[in-house]
Amino acid sequence: MAPPPTKSDQQVASEFTAYYLQRATKEFAEDLDKVRAADDFKNDALQTLISALQQGTAMFSAEEKRMIVTAAAQPARKS
Amino acid sequence: MGKRFSRDPDGAVVPRKRPKVVHDAPTSEEIHSSRQLQQLLAFSQDPARARHGLQSFKLFLDELLNPDSNDAARRKILTDYLEAVKPPDGDETPVFLPGIMQTWSYGGQTNNDNIMSAVAVVLALLLKLLSQSLDTVQYGLGICRTLLQKRQLELIARNLSADKGKAFIISPTLRMLKEAVTFDGGAVAPPLFRARASTLKSLARNLGIVHMGDEAEDAKRPSPRTIAVLFFLAMLRVLHPEAKKELLSQRDIVDALTRDVKQDPPYLVRELLDGLRSHVLLDDKLSREAKARLLTASTLTRLSALYHYRLDNAAENEKSIADIAHEFLMTACTNPACGVLRLDSGFYPREVDANAAVSSTVGGDDQGLEAVVRTNKSTKNEISIRNYTLSNFLLNLRPWSSVKQSELVTSIFKVASELVANYFQNNKSFNFEPKLSATWIGYAAFLFNVVTLPIPDCFCRASAFPELPPPTSIVMDNILPPPLNQKALSRSLANKSNMISFFATRILVVAIEKLDVAIKMHQDPVHLNKVIWAEAARRLVNEFCQRSPSIKDMITAYRSIPEGDILHREAASRLLRLCYEVLPQVALSASFDVAPFLETALRRLSKHELDDPRDFGLILKELENLLAIAGFSPGMNWFAAPEGLSLSPFTLLLKVCVDAPHGVGLDAIRQVLNSVAVEQRLVPTDGKHPGLLVLLEALQDLRQTSPDSLALLWPFLDNCLTRCANAPAKYAEEKQETSQIPAGPSASFVSPLLAAISEQLPFVAAKAEEKATIKALGRFLPTLLGLCATAGESRTLLNAMFSTMVTHLADSKGKLAKAGIPEGLQFQHNPWPPAPASGSRPGRVENSQVDRSGSKTEPAMNAEALENVLHVADHLDVDNSALVKWSSKTVDELVDEGYLASLISLLVSEHASIRKEALVNVLKAAAKFQQSEYEEKEQVWLLLSELAETARDCINDGPLPSPIVAFACHALNVLRDPLSNLYPRVNTFLTRGPVWSLDKLPLVDELLSEEPDVGDAYYSQTSWLLGYLLDGLRTPRDLQLFHKQRAKGPVFQRVLALAANPFMRLPLRTQVLRLLYRATRIEGASTTLTTRFDVAGWLEGRQGSCADAGEAALYGGLRRRIWETCDRDRLRALSRRGLDEGCNITVG
Repeated sequence: MAPPPTKSDQQVASEFTAYYLQRATKEFAEDLDKVRAADDFKNDALQTLISALQQGTAMFSAEEKRMIVTAAAQPARKS
Repeated sequence: MGKRFSRDPDGAVVPRKRPKVVHDAPTSEEIHSSRQLQQLLAFSQDPARARHGLQSFKLFLDELLNPDSNDAARRKILTDYLEAVKPPDGDETPVFLPGIMQTWSYGGQTNNDNIMSAVAVVLALLLKLLSQSLDTVQYGLGICRTLLQKRQLELIARNLSADKGKAFIISPTLRMLKEAVTFDGGAVAPPLFRARASTLKSLARNLGIVHMGDEAEDAKRPSPRTIAVLFFLAMLRVLHPEAKKELLSQRDIVDALTRDVKQDPPYLVRELLDGLRSHVLLDDKLSREAKARLLTASTLTRLSALYHYRLDNAAENEKSIADIAHEFLMTACTNPACGVLRLDSGFYPREVDANAAVSSTVGGDDQGLEAVVRTNKSTKNEISIRNYTLSNFLLNLRPWSSVKQSELVTSIFKVASELVANYFQNNKSFNFEPKLSATWIGYAAFLFNVVTLPIPDCFCRASAFPELPPPTSIVMDNILPPPLNQKALSRSLANKSNMISFFATRILVVAIEKLDVAIKMHQDPVHLNKVIWAEAARRLVNEFCQRSPSIKDMITAYRSIPEGDILHREAASRLLRLCYEVLPQVALSASFDVAPFLETALRRLSKHELDDPRDFGLILKELENLLAIAGFSPGMNWFAAPEGLSLSPFTLLLKVCVDAPHGVGLDAIRQVLNSVAVEQRLVPTDGKHPGLLVLLEALQDLRQTSPDSLALLWPFLDNCLTRCANAPAKYAEEKQETSQIPAGPSASFVSPLLAAISEQLPFVAAKAEEKATIKALGRFLPTLLGLCATAGESRTLLNAMFSTMVTHLADSKGKLAKAGIPEGLQFQHNPWPPAPASGSRPGRVENSQVDRSGSKTEPAMNAEALENVLHVADHLDVDNSALVKWSSKTVDELVDEGYLASLISLLVSEHASIRKEALVNVLKAAAKFQQSEYEEKEQVWLLLSELAETARDCINDGPLPSPIVAFACHALNVLRDPLSNLYPRVNTFLTRGPVWSLDKLPLVDELLSEEPDVGDAYYSQTSWLLGYLLDGLRTPRDLQLFHKQRAKGPVFQRVLALAANPFMRLPLRTQVLRLLYRATRIEGASTTLTTRFDVAGWLEGRQGSCADAGEAALYGGLRRRIWETCDRDRLRALSRRGLDEGCNITVG
C-alpha cells in the first residue's frame, strides 16, 4: 500500500508548479526565445510570461498534482 | 517666431518681460534672552528690521528643532518670551504673538512678500516645536486660535492665493496650516475646517504647483503640491466623519489631489496611499457616498498609472510603489464598503427582473421563451449595469501588460460579474489573432484568468435561482469572451508555434469545464420553468459550438504535437476528453481513432525511457484521458497487438499499472481495465467478484518478490488474455466442463482466464526455450490461484485445476504440489472490496457494484432523469426559413453547416405547400451542386435527385416517411467524407436505382446482416445506423415501417437483438434505448411494442443480466415508461398474470 501522504497540499502545489514550469520551458524553449526577442518584450513582460506559463496548473486537481509530484523513480528494467 | 512687444500710451515699444525680483537675504543675530527676543519680534514699520527679527527667530527655532540639540536654556528663553507676550486673561479676542501678527498684517498692507513668507515660516516652526511638549501646548493652542481670527484668516487666504510662482509664500503657509490642524490631536481642526473659505483657499490650484524636472524632487525642498498633499492628509487624519465627508465633496480639491500623482516623490506617494487607505477606504464611520466621491473613475485611473511609477526607490525589504498602489486599488475596487463596488445582479442585466418577468409569462411556455429571447435581443447591443465607475475604470487598464493589472481586473470581475460581458463589449479592439509576442501571451493569460472565474451561485446574488435563465449571450461571454471567437481560436490551435497552440488548448479546457458547470446549473432540478431553462441550456451549447473551434481542429492540433511534449499532449488530450464528456453530440460527429494515440502513450510508458519519474505521472494523465475517450468510441480493439508492438493494448495497460512508480494513483486505469475485462468475460461477471483485481494483485505481488520473473510472464499472459477475449464462449464452456467436478455448496466457478492459462500451459512447457517462463509461472500461479480463492472462486475447482497445472510447472521435487494453493491471501496492493465510485459522469466506465440480494423491487430511474439520458431532440423538426436560407450559401456551407439537411427535412412537413416548395428547392440545390466545383458533387447530385424522384409522386399525399428523409440527411454527412467507412455502402446504394422504396428502411439489411467493408467498422456503422433510425422514428406511420414483418424479421426486433451483443458498449446500447424511448412518445407505440415484441420482458431480461447499477436503473425506468404510456386495459386483458406485477419497480 502507498505510504500515507507526508507532503502538505501547499508543498505539493509549489513542487508541481515548479515541475510544470520546468516542463513548459523545456517543451517551448524555441518559442520562448522568440518571444523574448519580440519588440514588445519589456518591463513586466518576463513576469507576465512566467505567470502565463504557470497558470495552467489550475487545470490540475490537488489529487492529480499529488499523483504526479509523488511519483518516485523505479529502477528501469528490460521488458 | 519673433518676440512680441506691447506699446505704452506714448507709442514706445516696451518689452513684455516680467521684472526680475531680487531677494535680499535678511540679516540675523543670535538670541540670548527672552527680552532680546521680545525686542526683535516687536512690531516695526521698517521691513528690514522686521525681517531681521523674524530671521533671527527662525534660526533660533531651527536650533531648537534640531533633534540633536538639548538646549534647556534656549527653551527657557522661548517659554519666557511666550509667557511675556501672552494676552491677559479675560481678553475677549486674545491675540498671541501680537508683534508677529502685526508685522504680518503690515507686510500684507505693504505687499511685502518677504515678510508674509517669513511670518508663515516662523509660525509653522513654532507650532511644530510647541506640539512637542505638554507644557507648551497652551501657547500653541492660543496661537492657533489667533490664526482663526478674521484678520489672520484674511492674511492666510492672501498668502495661499499668492501668485503661482511665489512658492516661498505658499509653501510655509500650507506647512503652518498643517501644523495647526494637527496641533494637540486636531483640537482646532474643526474650526479651521469651518473657516475653509480661507484655510482651503486655492488649495486645488496649490495641489497643482508641482516640482518641475525629470528627477524626483528634493525631500528638503518640497514643492507646494507636496506640502498641500500632506496638509490634506493631515486633515483627513483629524477631522470627524461629517467634516471629512464635506472635505471629500470639494470636487476640485479631490480632483487635484491625484492629478499629478505619478510625478510625486516616492515618500509622498506612500503617505498619500497610506493616508487615503487608513482614513478613507477603511474608515467605517465614513459613508460609502463620501468614499465614492474620492474614488471616481479618474482617481482610480490616475492611481493605476502608479503601476508604472518610474521614480521608485524602494529598498529590498520594502514594498514597491506599484505593489502599494495595487493593494490600494484591490481594496478600493473589490471591497463593497469602499464605495466603488455596487451590488450587481450577476449574469442578469440591470433592468431585467427575472422573477417579475415570469409572472406575466406563466400562461405558457412559449410566451416564457419569447420573453427570454427578447431579453437576449435587448442585451445584444448594450448591457445595462450598476458599476459604472468600475466599468469606466477597467477600460483604462492594460491587463495584458502586467500580472498585477490582470489580477486587479479579474478580481473586479469576480466580485462584479456583470462587468465581464460589459468589458468585452466596450473593448472591441481586443484582438486575439495569434502572434508570438509578449502582448499576445499577456492577452492569452488574461483571458485564461477570465475564463477560470467562477460562475456566481444561481447566476446572481440571490440565494435561489430566479425563475428565468440569464441571457445566453451574457453566460456565453463569461465562458468564452468575444475575442475568443472560432476563427481566432482555430488559427491559434493550428499555429505552427506549439506554445500558441498550447495556450489556446488550455483556454478551451477551462472554457468547457465552465460550460459544463453552466449546463448543470441550467439543469438543476429546482427550476420551476424547466422547459425554458432546458431551452436556454440548448442555446448555450449551440452558441458555444459556434464560438469554439470544431472537434476536427482539436484533433488535428493533438495529432501535430511532438511526441516528447507531454505537457502539451496532456492538455490536448484533456480537451478532447472534455469534449466527449460535455459535448458528446459534437465530439461523436468526428471520426477520431483513439487507438494509435493510446498505443503511443502505452509504448512510452512501458519503455522506461523517462528521465524524470514525474513525467511518468504526466503521461499517465494523458493515458487516462485517452482511455476515457476510448470508453466513448465504438470499435476500440483492446486485444490486437498493433504494428510494432508485441503486446496488445490491454496487456500493455496492465503492464503500465503493475510497473507504475510507487505512489501513482491508478484508480482510473484499474477501473477501465476491469470494465473491459468484465465486458470481454475474462473474469467472472458476478457483482461480488473483484474481477481483474485478482490478476493485478498477483502480478504486483510477483513484482515485489521476483521482478525478473514478472518480465518473462507478459508474452504468455498476453497470449492467454487475447485467446480468452477472442473466444469467450469456448472458455466459458471449458469452465462449465470443469464445473462438473463435484463442488462445494458455495461458489462453483473459476475465472475463464484461468481456463485459458490452464489450456495454454502445456504448449509453453513443451518448448525447451521457455524454461524460464515456466519457472516464473511456478512462482506466479500459486499466488494467482490463492487470490482467486480469496475472491470467492471455488477452492475445489481451483485445487483440481492446480493439480493439472503442477504437472507442467517443472516441479520435480514436488515442492509446489506439496505446498498447494496458499490459503488466506489478502489483497495488499489493491483496495478490495473497492470503495463505491462517486461523482461519475454519464458515459464513463463504472465499476459494477450491484447488490442483488433477491429483493423484489428493482431500481428504476425517475421520469426526469430518464428523459435527460434518453430524450433526443427531433432533428427533422426544422424552421420553414430553411426554404430560403440555403439559396445564398455556397455548396460547402450547404453541406458542412447543415443548410441542405434542413431543407431536406422540410419534406416531412405537415403542410403540403411547404413540402412542394421544399421539393422544388431540393431539385434546384441538386442543379447547383452539379454546376459547382464541389468534390463530391456527383454523389450529392445523385442523392438529391433520387430523393426528389422518390418524393415526387407522393408529395401531395402526405409527409415523406421520416426514415427516408433521415437517411438522406445522414447519407449526406457520409458523402462529404470519403474516408468514412460507410462511403462505399452509401454509394452502392445510390447507384442501385433512381427511386427508393418507400416501404423499406434504406441500408438497414446491409448494415445489420452483412460483414462490414472495413475490418473494425462494425460498431461505428451500427452507431450511424442507430443515429439515422432514431431521427427517422417520429410518427405512427414511421412506426409501422419499424414493426412491419420482413424477410429477416421486423426492424425493431433486429435492433433489440443488437443490444444483446455482450461486446457492444454502453453508448451504443443507450442508443437502442433512445430509440425505444422515442417510440414511447408516439401514440400507441408502447402497446404495440409490448404486444408484438414483449419489450417489457426484454427490458426485464436486460436488467437482470446487467451488472451496472446505473444501467439497470435505466432499464427499470424505461420499463415503467412503457407501462405508463401503453393501453393498460388492453394489456391486462391479454396478459394472464397482469403486467402490474411485472412492473413492480421503485423509483431510484
